[in-house]
Amino acid sequence: MLIEQQTVETVKPSVCVHSLLENEVQEEKILRSLALTRELGASAIVQFFPWAYFEQSDDDFSWERADFIIKHARLQGLHIIARLGLVPEWARRGISGSTLNTLPSESFADFAEYAAAFAARYAGEVEHIIIWNEPNLSFEWGYQPVDPADYANLLKATYARVKAANAQMTILAGALAPTLEAAGSSAGWNDLAYLRALYAAGAGAYFDALAIHSYGFLDPPEAPPAANRLNFRRAELLRDIMLEYGDAAKPAFITESGWNDHPRWTGAVRPSQRSAYTIRAFQFAEANWSWLERLCIWALRYPANLNAYPDYSTLISPDFQLKPIYYALQAHARGWESETRLWLPPPEKN
Amino acid sequence: MAATARKKLRRGKIKRLLAAAALTLLAAGAFLAFQRLLPPQPARAFPSGAIVIGVDASFPPFALDDGGNLSGLDIDLARAIASEIGLPARFVTLSYFGLYDALTTSKVDLLISALPIEPGRTDDVRYSQPYFDNGLVLAVNAPSAPDLQALAGKAIAYEYASSADSQLRAWESGGSHFQRRPYELPRYALDALRYEQAGAALIEATAFFLYRKEHPAWAAAYTYAARAPYAIAVRHEPWDTLRLLDAALAALKESGELARIIDNWVGS
Repeated sequence: MLIEQQTVETVKPSVCVHSLLENEVQEEKILRSLALTRELGASAIVQFFPWAYFEQSDDDFSWERADFIIKHARLQGLHIIARLGLVPEWARRGISGSTLNTLPSESFADFAEYAAAFAARYAGEVEHIIIWNEPNLSFEWGYQPVDPADYANLLKATYARVKAANAQMTILAGALAPTLEAAGSSAGWNDLAYLRALYAAGAGAYFDALAIHSYGFLDPPEAPPAANRLNFRRAELLRDIMLEYGDAAKPAFITESGWNDHPRWTGAVRPSQRSAYTIRAFQFAEANWSWLERLCIWALRYPANLNAYPDYSTLISPDFQLKPIYYALQAHARGWESETRLWLPPPEKN
Repeated sequence: MAATARKKLRRGKIKRLLAAAALTLLAAGAFLAFQRLLPPQPARAFPSGAIVIGVDASFPPFALDDGGNLSGLDIDLARAIASEIGLPARFVTLSYFGLYDALTTSKVDLLISALPIEPGRTDDVRYSQPYFDNGLVLAVNAPSAPDLQALAGKAIAYEYASSADSQLRAWESGGSHFQRRPYELPRYALDALRYEQAGAALIEATAFFLYRKEHPAWAAAYTYAARAPYAIAVRHEPWDTLRLLDAALAALKESGELARIIDNWVGS
């Protein structure tokens, strides 16, 4: 299939979406997802490149699927922020009860080698990589004890290897899950406490930018942040910690954000609120957060319905129906006049 | 011993081994089949002596955790099922993402958590008979159920950007035509119907039933336009669990207890 080089038409270059193409079986659907991202006016995607998919045995890389995604994302004019993680079985070293997220410290060098191989292969095509995802959650840390010093060691092991392979690569520290977990919780660490501990462990020297997950949950985007509340502006508290540790010069990337509009979930808002809050979140960030490079919405589209509340976080349905929020975000990104009245006023009894 | 004799002996040995393996398989199959003919045993289905139920308590009115106090349709249903089976119910609250893992790793015996039946999961789990349908309903101000064909060209009220919005778009792309009347909230769409400012409303079943409960004098008829049956998930084995569960559900339907629970939380 011959696809000509495209350009993203946008007036809001910070608009970005998290795509989920790694589990998409049909190449045609990958192409369609990327084209719809461009048409949305998003100039970047966050895309997961699971180590377990590309190095199924030690030093035996198989990049076909990554090549395809990256080639076609570039053809659509999209920048790629690559998230790396997910451990192949051989690197889990037979740990009992291990999961795809279990990375024993003996395998940090192997992960670093994968990240370096990725950075070298896609030099000039991928400018940003994220090292791991939400390491403050027990689940994401393979049910091993969550420990910022361990993650600092992973960053340290990876940073030098990647820079040696591709000096231009910007390395993002993995975004922390926004959570209010109390100290000692088996589920994970509070994100603010974790970031402080990460800096205290000396990790600051081993990342160029911070990835942030900043969901709105029930609050509107302008709601002020507080240490004991999860909302969109919690990102500011993480930024404050960066400043506290002298990292003002480093930018941040919100690599997951948005609201959910499941009709029953207690963490959801109404669809009308979701659309309005999302656009206002971009407006707030554009006006107030000069340190922010990208604001990426979770998520563009799932390959299939989960038949659960996460289905209500997407912009496009698995069968490629564009949701109204897609059109609202498109109008914002491309500077189009949006419809002023998306719904009718509450009816009154005659 | 001659080579041919050794070969014969080896072949005989292999044959005997294969026959023994086939017999073992047959016996195991017969045993399982026989077990399934026997009445289901609560002790085999729930060896801990309690029914351990996994639930994500963040979906009112199905389940809600209010400071450690669980309440909702699913919670009452779980208790009623446990009572039918004659064992105590013990709840384990989980996040959605932990539900099926907890079931398949035997941390819980079953999941009652507003779960739609997912055909893609049936390699790992089985589902009970459905106990509630939270699909989309098409409601009208009339004593008889609405007919989609008869609504062509009429105004249909719905919640902006909801599943109903998507369903209407799908119908329109299939050639149907309606006057679309989006509202900010489901209750406004239902107000529009009740005030006769729309010919029909397309709405999530739970929202419709709850609204109708608030307006008992309103005579509305409905039909399901899309189905989303909720069911209880169990592991494949032991077979007893699903049999006990379906029997308990059937008894609750028969006695009217299931309808009473649904009516209490959602409306009938």
